[in-house]
Amino acid sequence: MRVLSIALNTFRENIREKLLYNLLIFALLMIGSSVLLTRLTVGEWDRLIINLGLSSMNLFGVLIAIFVGISLVSKEIDKKTIYTILSKPVPRYEFLLGKYLGLMLTLLVNTAVMVVGLIAVMIYLDAPVTLLLFEAVGFIFLELVVITAVGLLFSTFTSTTLSAIFTLAIYVVGHLSTDLKQFGAQMDGLGKAVLNTIYYILPNLERFNLKGQVIHKVNVVGTDVLLTTAYGLAYAGLLLALASIIFQRRDFQ
Amino acid sequence: MSTTETILQTEGLTKTFKVGFWGRHVTVLEGLNLNVQRGEVFGFLGPNGAGKTTTIKILMGLIYPTGGRATVLGRPVGDSRAKDRVGFLPESPYFYDYLTAVEFLRFYGHLFSLRGAALENRVTELLDLVGMSHASNMQLRKFSKGMLQRVGIAQALINDPELIVLDEPMSGLDPVGRKEIRDLILRLKERGKTIFFSSHILHDAELLCDRVAIILKGRMVACGHVSELVGQGATQSVEMVVEGLSSEGLEHLQPLTEKLLIKGNQVLIVLRNQQQVGNALEIVRVAKGSVVSVTPQKGSLEELFIREVKGTQSSLREGQ
Amino acid sequence: MLLGLAAAVFLATILSLQIELDQRHDEQADRIESLRLLPRGELLRPALIGFHHLGADLIWLKIVQVLGEPVVTDQDYEWLYHALDVVTTLDPQYSYAYDVGGTILAELANRVDWSNQLLEKGVKANPAAWRLPFVLGFNYFFHLSDYVKAGEYMGQAAKIPGRPLYVDTLAARLYVEGGSPLLALQYLEVMIQQAEDPQLRVIYEEKYKEVVISRDLGTMDQALARYKQTRGRNPQTLADLVKEGYLAAVPEEPFGGEYRMNSETREIESSTHRERLRLHRPD
Repeated sequence: MRVLSIALNTFRENIREKLLYNLLIFALLMIGSSVLLTRLTVGEWDRLIINLGLSSMNLFGVLIAIFVGISLVSKEIDKKTIYTILSKPVPRYEFLLGKYLGLMLTLLVNTAVMVVGLIAVMIYLDAPVTLLLFEAVGFIFLELVVITAVGLLFSTFTSTTLSAIFTLAIYVVGHLSTDLKQFGAQMDGLGKAVLNTIYYILPNLERFNLKGQVIHKVNVVGTDVLLTTAYGLAYAGLLLALASIIFQRRDFQ
Repeated sequence: MSTTETILQTEGLTKTFKVGFWGRHVTVLEGLNLNVQRGEVFGFLGPNGAGKTTTIKILMGLIYPTGGRATVLGRPVGDSRAKDRVGFLPESPYFYDYLTAVEFLRFYGHLFSLRGAALENRVTELLDLVGMSHASNMQLRKFSKGMLQRVGIAQALINDPELIVLDEPMSGLDPVGRKEIRDLILRLKERGKTIFFSSHILHDAELLCDRVAIILKGRMVACGHVSELVGQGATQSVEMVVEGLSSEGLEHLQPLTEKLLIKGNQVLIVLRNQQQVGNALEIVRVAKGSVVSVTPQKGSLEELFIREVKGTQSSLREGQ
Repeated sequence: MLLGLAAAVFLATILSLQIELDQRHDEQADRIESLRLLPRGELLRPALIGFHHLGADLIWLKIVQVLGEPVVTDQDYEWLYHALDVVTTLDPQYSYAYDVGGTILAELANRVDWSNQLLEKGVKANPAAWRLPFVLGFNYFFHLSDYVKAGEYMGQAAKIPGRPLYVDTLAARLYVEGGSPLLALQYLEVMIQQAEDPQLRVIYEEKYKEVVISRDLGTMDQALARYKQTRGRNPQTLADLVKEGYLAAVPEEPFGGEYRMNSETREIESSTHRERLRLHRPD
């Protein structure tokens, strides 16, 4: 219940700080492109609208996840609000979990509104709405689940600026980790071991990227969806546990 | 009211921080012993950087001591059963400025699992207690410093705590604001609360506290009842105002005084000590003067404080 | 501590899921699929907000990964042309990608049409890279038997500074000799020398041996024709040609087989390669 209160308070903070205004840009993008597309009658335009919709959903989500995620804790420390909360009978991990879930709630609402917008445009343009689209959106959200946890973990032990840089780096490398492993396969000894370790330790974010499959209508096996979901949730769980362990030991000077 | 129950205790509390890139150790607290009894208003005094906030953060479980022990309400610090019965106001907090006063207090109520009508009643009662009922639906970002301090105290009281810890509750406030907070603290004392607050403003402490502790550079330099501390070795001079004194009488008085001021018909005499009061009165009677007032001059906490600071500095200099 | 235990459990879970998910997929097929699904270069370029050169490098590395495996499972190679097109659109000055990509499309994928398309795109964007018209010339010479076009491209390569000397020689001979096996052998020697990729070198060496067969058959055919002309009959065996002075020696078959007289058609053939190389048959 305390976790829920902290989560709802964080959600309220995000709303009152007008975070959801990014939806306006998304709406303009969607409306603008659909107006433009109805004038261009040649070409695969339903493909473009899906591309644009999913990509901006992903981009806005990741930006919010990183930049709000890293300030979840540091802002509370700067404003000293964390002192009042932690002096109450609230275990530190509950505080972290509450902050995390609050931002996830914001991102969920944000993504949901975007999906509704995208589907509205697709119906307007007579483009078919498939189950695959929802799977792709679900995976985008799963990526946000992991990225937010990465940002939160960094922010428990380093400055906001460094957290932002590290989280962005993890985001980029996370999308390249499969390639890293393959390059490693052609190396020997140490190089291979290092790249393999990076591959297994870093989040494999390319697993959550189904945009290509949606556009080319390549279905994804149900078991894969389940296993990938489990992977994303377990990864976020690991990051939150590590963040809690670090946070527990921390002095708030 | 019994004053034998210990509410807050530290034994040899020590804290060192690592600073800078090379992790140089800096000692912020060294062997601090504190003992606060139920029902007291306890002032924790010292200049900026003496280690007051560090001590309070240790007591609230926000930082971990490097050595020594601390208990709050008989339990080790950080124990959530103790936290259930403690209220805390940090130094110059900003709070969630996007919340209204009511939402703000409700949120903290939720953290103690307060719900429904009980919570609503508690919130209304507290806003009334701190005199903020008129601003209950205003966002905190529009609050003045004094208003924030008052809802801050309300926040610390949401769980009806037995011990209230306030870090610099009066700093940054104007004289009216300080008076309001003082009154609030006295009202809480009347309700049987134990109050532990830090301050570097001695005047406030003198007016409020039953007992005070003074720390300097992480070490306790004095602790006790305000009257005892002030009495210790302080110059106990007596001021006397006399009217219609003859010049002959004035001459007789001269050897007894430290200072003598003539102001028209009146004379202000400062006597070296209380033993001289009898002699002085005798001289005035003989000289047919009349006594307007006799006021013993108590030493102030401020004097004591400055003396201690100077003492520590000189002993440090000798030590070097 | 409980949190540490939770962290350990989560770590074990993600590692096993990572392995499990990897095993559920044929990695090569996945990689080829990801290359096939790449958005068009023109669309990808703006999306990379200034990092398109890096993008080209990464896609190129991915292509090399797939091609580096012993067997490429997907034989349609459309993905390869698409991926190469994306790489060269992201970085039009990536002449190495045109060069190696064009060669692989022609030699491994047997798609000279795609190879030429890619190389011509490269020639337009990189007028200073002599390898691109050189490989194009090779394609026209070897795969399309278009000696005029081959000569034109080789001539183009011979005008570019920085080329090796043999480019000039080859260009000159192309104009004069057209499709002679000797020219082809010289051309292939160059290709073998220049090939960095062992797989490609093997392909060129095979080709070289085939041309050797074709050259040998040409020499022996001439001897046979003279024999028939003077004796008015076919010899019994190839040894007869040598014995009676029409041929210095029966050459060694480069694949380790032998040359022999087909008893039915009375034509000379190789035991390893029954079909004659189309390129060098007199048209």
